[in-house]
Amino acid sequence: MYDYRLSLLMLVGIYLISPVMMDWWLDDRAAWYRPFGIWALLIALYIWFNSKQKDNDDV
Amino acid sequence: MTFSLGQLALLGVGYLFSLFLAAYAVERNWLPRSWVRHPLVYVLSLGVYASAWAFYGSVGLANQYGYGFLAYYMGISGAFVMSPILLKPILQITRTYQLSSLADLLAFRYRSRWAGISVSLIMLAVVIPMLTLQITAIGDTLYLLNREWPVENLALAYCLIMILFAILFGARHVSPREKHEGLVFAIAFESVLKLVAILVLGGVVLFGVFPEVGGLEQWLSDNQAQLAREQVRLQDGPWRTLLLMFFAAAVAMPHMFHMAFTENNNPGALKHASWGFPLFLLIMSLSVPPILWAGYYLNVDSDPSYFALGIGLALESEFLTVMIFVGGLAAASGIIIVTTLSTAAMFLNHLVLPIYKPAPRYDFYRWLLWMRRSLIGVILLLAYGFYRIVGSDLDLSQLGILGFVACSQFLPGILGLLYWPQSNRKGFISGLVVGTITWIYGLLLPFCELALGWEIPFFLPPTDEGNWHLSAITAIGINFLLFVIISLSTKRSAEEQSAADACSIDNVSRPSRLPLQAVNTNEVINALTPSLGRYVAEREVYQALDDLELPSYEDRPYALRRLRARLEANLSGLMGPTVAHDLVNRYLPFQKDVELTEDIFQLEQRLEGFHSRLGGLASELDNLRRYHRETLERLPMGVCSLAPDGEVLMWNQVMSQLTGTESREVTGSHVSRLPAPWGPMLTDFLTSHAMHKHKHRVDSAGRPRWFGMHKAVLQPSGSQPGGTVILLEDQTETQLLEEELMHSERLASIGRLAAGVAHEIGNPITGIDCLAQSMRYETDNPELLEMADQIQEQTKRVTRIVQSLMNFSHAGHHSTEHEPVDATYCINEAIQLLKLSKRSQDINFINDCPPELMTMGDAQRLVQVFVNLLGNARDASEAGGTIWVQGDMDEQQVRIRVIDDGHGIPAETLDHIFEPFFTTKDVGKGTGLGLSLVYSIIEEHYGHIAIDSPLASGRGTCVTVSLPRCEQPELTDHHS
Repeated sequence: MYDYRLSLLMLVGIYLISPVMMDWWLDDRAAWYRPFGIWALLIALYIWFNSKQKDNDDV
Repeated sequence: MTFSLGQLALLGVGYLFSLFLAAYAVERNWLPRSWVRHPLVYVLSLGVYASAWAFYGSVGLANQYGYGFLAYYMGISGAFVMSPILLKPILQITRTYQLSSLADLLAFRYRSRWAGISVSLIMLAVVIPMLTLQITAIGDTLYLLNREWPVENLALAYCLIMILFAILFGARHVSPREKHEGLVFAIAFESVLKLVAILVLGGVVLFGVFPEVGGLEQWLSDNQAQLAREQVRLQDGPWRTLLLMFFAAAVAMPHMFHMAFTENNNPGALKHASWGFPLFLLIMSLSVPPILWAGYYLNVDSDPSYFALGIGLALESEFLTVMIFVGGLAAASGIIIVTTLSTAAMFLNHLVLPIYKPAPRYDFYRWLLWMRRSLIGVILLLAYGFYRIVGSDLDLSQLGILGFVACSQFLPGILGLLYWPQSNRKGFISGLVVGTITWIYGLLLPFCELALGWEIPFFLPPTDEGNWHLSAITAIGINFLLFVIISLSTKRSAEEQSAADACSIDNVSRPSRLPLQAVNTNEVINALTPSLGRYVAEREVYQALDDLELPSYEDRPYALRRLRARLEANLSGLMGPTVAHDLVNRYLPFQKDVELTEDIFQLEQRLEGFHSRLGGLASELDNLRRYHRETLERLPMGVCSLAPDGEVLMWNQVMSQLTGTESREVTGSHVSRLPAPWGPMLTDFLTSHAMHKHKHRVDSAGRPRWFGMHKAVLQPSGSQPGGTVILLEDQTETQLLEEELMHSERLASIGRLAAGVAHEIGNPITGIDCLAQSMRYETDNPELLEMADQIQEQTKRVTRIVQSLMNFSHAGHHSTEHEPVDATYCINEAIQLLKLSKRSQDINFINDCPPELMTMGDAQRLVQVFVNLLGNARDASEAGGTIWVQGDMDEQQVRIRVIDDGHGIPAETLDHIFEPFFTTKDVGKGTGLGLSLVYSIIEEHYGHIAIDSPLASGRGTCVTVSLPRCEQPELTDHHS
């Protein structure tokens, strides 16, 4: 079975600390495109992580 | 720079028409299927989320909150990243149960008509602001480009055109089961358009508006203080609220639900969407800050929300302006088409059909189609009405907030559906209703008061653009709280429990095995006819059977149960889960007063589907289950497991081989309804007290077969339902061998008796013959001489019989060494011998055997065999008849057939033909030992003899002798 409880807990955690993360992302001294760069990096990490996992579940 | 109304109309209608052409090309199969079903098309179709608010409103949001506008993109991205545990289970449920909208899903889960009604009504509060937002955006942009016509008229014209195109896109056909692949492709196409438009504008801004490379950075550095003054740093509260709202939008917004689940024709594409859609949103949002800053830099004279269009106008670039207009039009049109289609279907299923359903005599499908078209028109006109009353005074972000906060009211119900099986309809409905009332009181009315100057005659919270999140979070919080408290303090119905198990993410529901009152598919059609009409009932039943890959006629209880569930799912796609559930419950009821047992077979199939998801102990247990299953399947005995009521739950491979009936044909049938002779045989054994039965004779496929049967009764214990296991063992071979052995024994005992008799009779007969001879010498009396001759003749006859008996008795004891023998030579020898007889003169013998038909044996005795066989054939033939001898051989055997065209042998005679002393010839003409002797000699040669009579022509006999083939082609001495 999915270990969905852990994932949900993680989601809530990220949700709660997201303002702190955003403060860092949106540092005025940084380049204007920094948030987009970090976002792209997260997507790349997600793709890499996903490609490592074998997904046999058929809908 | 302005555009005439004709130019704008040409542009708008031209774009929409090209969009329709793209959809039409897909429906006509002008484009390869692989393109249409490509995951990229699915990902781009989800781009419907990026509506006019993303295209125009995001710039306004960025102007207000700076980078806080990213919440619009990141909230929903979070939902897609969590798709394995959030979107994928919902996709599974919607596909399995044919649920086409959020109201369908929630009404199905909470098993309540009121859940569907309340979701549909509250969805109106989501849809109307969202549609109004699009109408406002397009009306405003049209006005910015035209500046002649009143904006309200432009908006009305746009609404009317959109009603037409929404019908063209999604309400031309009737069955909601058909996916609108054309629509999906068209929405993907419009996503590409808006993406290209906003990227091109971003590029123009970065490299064309600001003076040199790095000019933007320099300008930002110079104007940092001014920008900071104009923008409100988004605080934690609004940020979290926005994230939550946009997270909920992934499943609660009707257009997102429609594209992500209802129109999904490639479930695997969701995996690609989990990263592809956030990437799409990233690219969409990339140009937003530069557009905002370019708007400041160029001093664009418009609301910041329309800076994108204003930049094109300020730069006096027709191309850029037209491109941005088309991009915005694409963004607004996509969401309008999808939202109206999905909402119309939702209203039809939950607000119209529960109240009114046409009489069966009407064309139900056509009625549904026209209702849907009418609802599309009504929804868009309602949105236009809202736009006229309040919409034009509320800005895009206020309209967006109203819609998104209303849609997040569905979040508790959705999360409960997936993760909390204990939640119930009372909790859901009360939370939803109170949450929505709070939304109206805390957000809608204050916004209206603020923007429109309405005077509300009671106290309202001081909600404004700075603290709206408090009202939003309060509404959602109250909703959650009531949902939890009432769900915990009230009970679920059994029906609701079953639906909760079906929806729960770790679904371990155990399907029950209740028989239907209808006993076959024809009765199912008859039962549905009063409600749906004959045509619709037949079409739906055959469609469901086709979906399940079942034959058009079924009477198996298991198949009928599956048919019922499938019918409910299909009808749910047509008329919503509530109406479908009520209809199926009413017209296809289960039998009453039947003990409820679990459907082990279906449970096993479900476990099989879950196999790849199991881990840890569950996986180990599943492996054990599969091992035991495989053991039973491969057992070299027929195994059949029966439920307490006689329904077949298991039918292993050997059982299929023995009965010639496949498992899929009988599993789920009642044992008594199995085809004869198996049904009666198993039913008799099941109802008898005997636990074992040996050599039970069954005539199958025109031949007798014998089976041993054993049964074990499984006592119900705990969750085990009990039942009976029957083992079936094929004993036909054993039985035939035993019969053959008995036959041989009988022949042998007769042979021994004959030998004894022959020995005892021989001596007195010799004495009689001598005395008769003496009498001939002693007298001249002619009468006495004639008498003596007769005595001698009779004694010779007796001697011949005795000699035959002696031969027969010695037949089984010959121990001659076998040597290679040419059977053709033996046959020729036998024919020559027979031709010496007067009786054979008028019979035509034809030996067609190939030369060197070599076998192993005793040539002399084989000649004896053929003399007997050919002699019998001759006796059976009429004068002038023909006897053929044919031969052939394979790697192991030599086969010789003696065929005559005589009168044939009656069936009753065939059974006794090899028995000693059995003859059909007249007394004195045959001893009845010839064929017995042949049988013995053939057995002695390890051969086989078979008689086929009469032949296909109705006459004649064919005796086939099979002998082992000799591999050494040596010739015997007979040739020399």
